[in-house]
Amino acid sequence: MATETSERSRSARERFVGAFTSRASRLGITTGPALIWLFLLLLTPLTFMVAVSFTSVDTFTYQIIWEPTVENYNQLFAGEGPFWQTAFFQSLALSYFIAAVTTVLCLVLAFPLAYLLARKGGTTFKVVIFLVLLPFFTMYLVRAYSWFLMFGPSGVINSTLLRLGVVNGPVGLFNYGVPAIIIGLTHAYFPYMLLSLYASLDGLDFSLIEAARDLGASRTAALKDIILPLVLPGIISGSLFVFVPSLGAFITPRFLGQGKVLMIGQLIEERINSLYAIGYGSAASMFIVLSIVVAFAVAFRYVSIEDLGGV
Amino acid sequence: MATETGNETDSGTGTVTERGTGTRLVDHETKERLLSRSFYVVAGALLVFLWIPLAVMIILSFAVNASTFFPFRGFTLAHYGATFADAALMTSLWHSVQVATIAASIATVLGVLSSFALARFSFPFKETYRTFGILPMVIPGVVLGIALLIYFRTLLPQLFGIQIVPGFWTVVLTHSVYGYPFVLLLVTSRLYTFDESLEEAARDLGADPLTVFRDITMPIVAPAIGAGFLFAWIRSFEDFIRAFFVRGTMDVLTTSMFSMIKYGTAPKMNAISSFIVFVIAVVLAVAMNVGNVSGMVAGTEGEEE
Repeated sequence: MATETSERSRSARERFVGAFTSRASRLGITTGPALIWLFLLLLTPLTFMVAVSFTSVDTFTYQIIWEPTVENYNQLFAGEGPFWQTAFFQSLALSYFIAAVTTVLCLVLAFPLAYLLARKGGTTFKVVIFLVLLPFFTMYLVRAYSWFLMFGPSGVINSTLLRLGVVNGPVGLFNYGVPAIIIGLTHAYFPYMLLSLYASLDGLDFSLIEAARDLGASRTAALKDIILPLVLPGIISGSLFVFVPSLGAFITPRFLGQGKVLMIGQLIEERINSLYAIGYGSAASMFIVLSIVVAFAVAFRYVSIEDLGGV
Repeated sequence: MATETGNETDSGTGTVTERGTGTRLVDHETKERLLSRSFYVVAGALLVFLWIPLAVMIILSFAVNASTFFPFRGFTLAHYGATFADAALMTSLWHSVQVATIAASIATVLGVLSSFALARFSFPFKETYRTFGILPMVIPGVVLGIALLIYFRTLLPQLFGIQIVPGFWTVVLTHSVYGYPFVLLLVTSRLYTFDESLEEAARDLGADPLTVFRDITMPIVAPAIGAGFLFAWIRSFEDFIRAFFVRGTMDVLTTSMFSMIKYGTAPKMNAISSFIVFVIAVVLAVAMNVGNVSGMVAGTEGEEE
């Protein structure tokens, strides 16, 4: 009886192992599930999104009329005046601007900390990483909300300044608007930059810098000729991970713009949620997707995809 | 840029500096020291910047007047009481926990299998497979959310006659796709640094493949799998925009919180937000000590395991 069960479990075990030893089944079992999942829930929806952007929708039944049209794209740029005065173009341009400033700000702020972490290591490392990672892991919505408390005419910053008698009225800079959004986004995506920079600085041979300095290179020259080329993959992947989500941000501009600023993500959300204008929304999304494809195509000239694993 | 250039010399700070030898306004040693110090100042200021808004929010969660400090009217725990007594909010919190757990489990199974394929086997279109796998992490939430909303609500019923009511399971499916790349990245990077001679040694000593997998491979890869699951779980738990589009009429925690802010109920918002910061802090502290998550997140596998 006992030997019989052990016999059976043994053969089941051999069959299980056998399934992993033939090359074809091994590949099928490991690559297959994710392939099916991503095909059904990523590739198909995105492909159809491209298709929907070139169709129109029956306004009463919400049925898609499968006839190719560029009407949605015309609509993006339709309206009085030249195309750069349309709501779509303005919010797209503003989103690029905000995302670009955020990226530069993150880079400038993250570099010193990444450098210190890579250089010093040791016991403080864990504490500092913890202090950086905790806000990073804290809900994105909570972080946007915490800045929502700080900013505004009667927010924490303005009311504290008033109380201390530093100013006489609310300071415009600390009201809701573009500066608040940039601060909020920097706070949200800064850790991506830090981790990317850290990953590339961590492998750096710092004696190269000393060698360059000993041979008479100035600090600027050492930075430009030694550090920069070696850290470039980190800078590029970090920039991607800050720029791309900033471009499509929704919550942060919603809370910290308080209706005064309309970024592209908000514009799309508004059209989809209040009108279910899926054609317009898809067409507008294509511009975000296209920007990302271009950004990645440029980035991949300098870094390989494995370098993006730093995050 | 002045602060950035200071760093390359801060190895020199260990040497004894002769104070007050230079008569020039800024001599060489002082300059080195100032640059190195300004570096610490920037790093310190940064930590303050990261923490100030959260600290303010946490303090306000205990304050009677919930949205600003002045005029200060004392501390209270009433906001926490009201928050945990809010049945709708607690239901949405429970939904979030369920969604995150199921979605992260799916993402972990798919991610671990793919990671072994990528790290161990060669197959056609491998790079495409990898790029495609990282895509869900890279696509902005608005785009992924809308693409899946149109797919679930319009395309599946119209083209394939599949009726899916957006709700709990559509959020789970969406988040399982979103969490997958995080598992993939963490587990593949672990497998790439894996010393495969350990497996060979075990095989040479007569271990069958299953034993090798259980006794050698798993213990080494397990921390990365755990970190991947944790990452995917947190990503799902904190996601607002993807859930917002595909949730139908179901509320998860983030969508409840979003409507709270829209209608201006700050006291409960402070309390639930501070509570989340606290829970995440505990989870992260435990994970960092147990599984060396920090090392993995920063891309530096420690030598401890």
